[in-house]
Amino acid sequence: MRELVDDLRARLARVRQGGSERARQKHTDRGKLLARDRVDLLLDPGSPFLELAPLAAHGMYGADGDDHAVPSAGIVTGIGRVSGRACVVVANDATVKGGTYYPMTVKKHLRAQTVAAENHLPCIYLVDSGGAFLPMQDEVFPDREHFGRIFFNQANLSAAGIPQIASVMGSCTAGGAYVPAMSDETVIVRDQGTIFLGGPPLVKAATGEVVTAEDLGGGDVHARTSGVVDHLAEDDAHALAIVRSIVDTLPAARPAREPAAEVEEPHEPPESVYDVVPTDTRTPYDVREVIRRVVDGSRFHEFKKLYGDTLVCGFARIFGYEVGIVANNGILFSESALKGAHFIELCNQRKIPLVFLQNITGFMVGREYENKGIARDGAKLVTAVACSVVPKFTVVIGGSFGAGNYGMCGRAYDPRFLWMWPNARISVMGGEQAASVLATVRTDLEDEAAVEAFKAPIRDQYETQGSPYYASARLWDDGIIDPADTRRVLGMALAATSYVPIPEPSYGIFRM
Amino acid sequence: MKTLLIANRGEIALRVMRTARRLGWRTVAIHTDLDADAPHVRAADAAVRVASYLDIDAVVAAARESGAGHVHPGYGFLSERAPFARALAEAGITLVGPSADVMDEMGRKDAAREVAVAAGVPVVPSYSLTDDATTYAYPVLVKAAAGGGGKGMRVVRDAGDYAEAFASAQREARSAFGDDTILVEKYVESGRHIEVQVMGDTHGTVLHFFERDCSTQRRHQKVLEEAPAPTIDDDQRAAITASAVALAQQCGYTGAGTVEFLLDNSTGAFYFLEMNTRLQVEHPVTEEVVRVAGGHVDLVELQLLVATGEPLPFDQGAVTLEGHAIEARVYAEDSFHGFLPQAGRTSIVRWPASDGIRVDHALEPGQEVSTSYDPMLGKVIAWGTDREAARAALVGALDETAILGITTNTGFLRALAASDEFRDTTIDTAWLDDHEVPEPDPDVARVFGAWTEVLLDTRPDSRQGGSGPWLADGWRMGADPAPDTVVLGDDLVVVDRHRARVSHAGHLHDVRLVSAADHTVHLLVDGRAEHAVLDVQRDVVEVVHRGQRWSWVRPDPFGDRGTAAGDGTLLAPMPGTVLAVNVVAGQEVTEGETLGVMEAMKMELALKAPFAGTVTSVGAGAGDLVKLGATLFVVEAADV
Repeated sequence: MRELVDDLRARLARVRQGGSERARQKHTDRGKLLARDRVDLLLDPGSPFLELAPLAAHGMYGADGDDHAVPSAGIVTGIGRVSGRACVVVANDATVKGGTYYPMTVKKHLRAQTVAAENHLPCIYLVDSGGAFLPMQDEVFPDREHFGRIFFNQANLSAAGIPQIASVMGSCTAGGAYVPAMSDETVIVRDQGTIFLGGPPLVKAATGEVVTAEDLGGGDVHARTSGVVDHLAEDDAHALAIVRSIVDTLPAARPAREPAAEVEEPHEPPESVYDVVPTDTRTPYDVREVIRRVVDGSRFHEFKKLYGDTLVCGFARIFGYEVGIVANNGILFSESALKGAHFIELCNQRKIPLVFLQNITGFMVGREYENKGIARDGAKLVTAVACSVVPKFTVVIGGSFGAGNYGMCGRAYDPRFLWMWPNARISVMGGEQAASVLATVRTDLEDEAAVEAFKAPIRDQYETQGSPYYASARLWDDGIIDPADTRRVLGMALAATSYVPIPEPSYGIFRM
Repeated sequence: MKTLLIANRGEIALRVMRTARRLGWRTVAIHTDLDADAPHVRAADAAVRVASYLDIDAVVAAARESGAGHVHPGYGFLSERAPFARALAEAGITLVGPSADVMDEMGRKDAAREVAVAAGVPVVPSYSLTDDATTYAYPVLVKAAAGGGGKGMRVVRDAGDYAEAFASAQREARSAFGDDTILVEKYVESGRHIEVQVMGDTHGTVLHFFERDCSTQRRHQKVLEEAPAPTIDDDQRAAITASAVALAQQCGYTGAGTVEFLLDNSTGAFYFLEMNTRLQVEHPVTEEVVRVAGGHVDLVELQLLVATGEPLPFDQGAVTLEGHAIEARVYAEDSFHGFLPQAGRTSIVRWPASDGIRVDHALEPGQEVSTSYDPMLGKVIAWGTDREAARAALVGALDETAILGITTNTGFLRALAASDEFRDTTIDTAWLDDHEVPEPDPDVARVFGAWTEVLLDTRPDSRQGGSGPWLADGWRMGADPAPDTVVLGDDLVVVDRHRARVSHAGHLHDVRLVSAADHTVHLLVDGRAEHAVLDVQRDVVEVVHRGQRWSWVRPDPFGDRGTAAGDGTLLAPMPGTVLAVNVVAGQEVTEGETLGVMEAMKMELALKAPFAGTVTSVGAGAGDLVKLGATLFVVEAADV
């Protein structure tokens, strides 16, 4: 596990560099701060930053360090404190392909807006982007969840009373021009920031007019003449200071939920989790050992301990916040599914957020179980999860296979956040099982060797696609975390989700 | 009960009151409106308002009304004014000091010189004004007979410059003292200022309390004073103290006085300069080193004893020396920027308090310091068994001195006291006029400012600091905690608590926190124990390190810089009438200078230069009606 964590930290360190050394040098030579430095300077001194999906687009457009790689999908997003207030920050990294929007960039930007919408967190956009990545315009521009959705979201977030603040710190062209224009309050950096629907080359092509970027849509133009922005800054640091001041003027946000008790550290140090979790997901272990390392005082009020014992349910506190924990401790049977559904109803009734610790190969199969109606009981669990109104947090601490993913609040079940451990595996079924199933339906495999030759690439495909890095690159999660950070990350998320009251629960039909 | 009116303010008033109270006297303070709530007023048993500390009639009236039988004048103000002494005498009130006649006599340099000659005290060789100036041995000193404080003094190195120097000294003397009598003396190129403390009673006894060396001075204002004098031997000491006593006896001196000598470093000869007929600012160094029958001496106590007609209760043989003392005068001045006087309100005031350290001061937190009075805020006096011990104690004491809110010379005093030149006694009376003490490096102070700001900002109970999972520890996902960047003035300082490092403009320091409480922070900076007193406010960070105050104003994001600059074209902001045009094309203007005034909608609006530069065009004249957006002025920025 330690090796996996070291590998994770090394990958994170690489993507956090942003673009190539040359691109970074060029960027800073112009007096601009790097995207992550901008975020650091924007945040309060010492503020933690709950970054979202730093490994987005990892290996999708090019391998690590390759010219085609798009580290962090060219955009830094996350939650941090600004002037004492939790905010969602979205910062383009102009050192990565000029900050242009790849498909994953769009997806990541939209995901950050979803986090803001669900948790009522102000949005701060640090804009420095050349707009859509033109060679992939078909995957970026036209669809429902594409570029246009960013501005749709801005309008609707603003309508919902979620402040939209933009600071234009570089180019902000074409569609991108709408980010500041759609914001409630906007800052621009003199001699750096430009906003225009069509840049100088396009203007020249369209009308023959020759104009400099600064005269077309520079800071002075927009602050004094066009009124597109509200504040003119001298440099990046000044712009960020103005943004901090804007946040300082927002009406105070009052949490709907406060920690119910004093914080107690777990009895075991966080790193000891490395020693209790086997790296091979097939090796069984007691998930209570993980829970002990996550909850306050290692205290766990376990519910129905003696019934349906492959699913561990119970109440605990994390940084003082009440939570209901649902954790796999083996395969799901009817009893465990029923127990889980009951417990989830309890949490909804009591308005206690749910934490899912997912390590599941699936529901039990076989005639006995099918005939007893395991599908019926599984459906109850899935219904309970789907209709939950409390904030849900999922951590994939091992396997995430098949219908188990659904019952344990996979990405499709709208957990507020979903993280994976570096040892996690995710796929519809195991590679070996998939290969066997596919081999069975083939009739032309004559001997063992032929079967093996057929199965090998399928196994390889599942091996590759089941990796947490493959998942994180595609934003199936909000990031791969160091298992030792689980408690901290859950605590930050619990606090970040505490501003929105929980509505009354209601459910679909539970198949009885 | 005897009543003493103290005709002074500040630390000396407090110091006199301390002794008077100990001896069972009732004390009366005087004060101006500005000083109504000053420490010396609160310390006294009674207080009387006067229009001015220099108003003789008012002070005498205050003494009479308050039933004071004695008046202590302190130093400065009326302390050496014979008319004051006479007015008191006429009112039947005793001045704690010599008679008016002695003041008159010793107050004039020419008369004092004659007394010295009569007493057999060596004086600086002088030249007769009737002699041909070309026959003088240059350099010579041309000075006003009635002078003091360096006014009306000129050093002339060449006969060709004599006539002009003489005329200007005479002019200055006439305007400063109303008396243009001039003396011409030998000029000592390198000298030390040695002065002898004497005390005479009304029974004819004059005793001395050894000497002080006040050579560390700037433009004749003493900066560091010490006792005993470090460069003279016992024979010189015996000769110089005997001369002082002889002089005091010659003029029938009573009370405390100081006889000043110039010691010529090249010959070892000493010459009488002048006599100060009062208690000196630097009298504490004498009190700290002189023992009478083994005990400390209180010069104010002796002054009061003599003033009540008592004889001095011991003889010269009982007066001995023990150890060494150095005094540093703390002034409200910016020593590293032209010694400009400073005014303002103090915030935090910390005076040193350790064994062997005496502080005479009248400065409190929240006190308004004005430039109306002497800028001296207090005196730090260190005693040690020898000069090096005293000097080390003084440096330590100045490190402990922290005055925030206004700039003081404490850092300068600290640097000076710690200098090799002061250690080696090579500072003569002209040294500070010819040498610059280098300004301390703000590097360590900056480390303190940045580190402390992060410490305060990240506290869970601070406005910005998070708690619980959002604890402000710089947490980052799968990485080391992020360092913090602190903006101090124009500097960006990076504080990396995780690696215990502070960096700024390529300077990297290892920093470890030792303790922080009550505005005092102790850090290990690169393994060296350092401490500072800080006041971190939202807009300004103040740090006092080694006595020096550093203050970094944090830029206001909505300050002028955001909207100033830009274009130098001033347009009419509304239609209206131009009332005044103050500039012409080609004129140089400073930032914020009013170029013109216009009136519209019953409001007057000043049109100000957005930055320093040159007016390149003026678009309207006074009385013109202008439209909205009419170009009124164009300013071209000066090259910076």
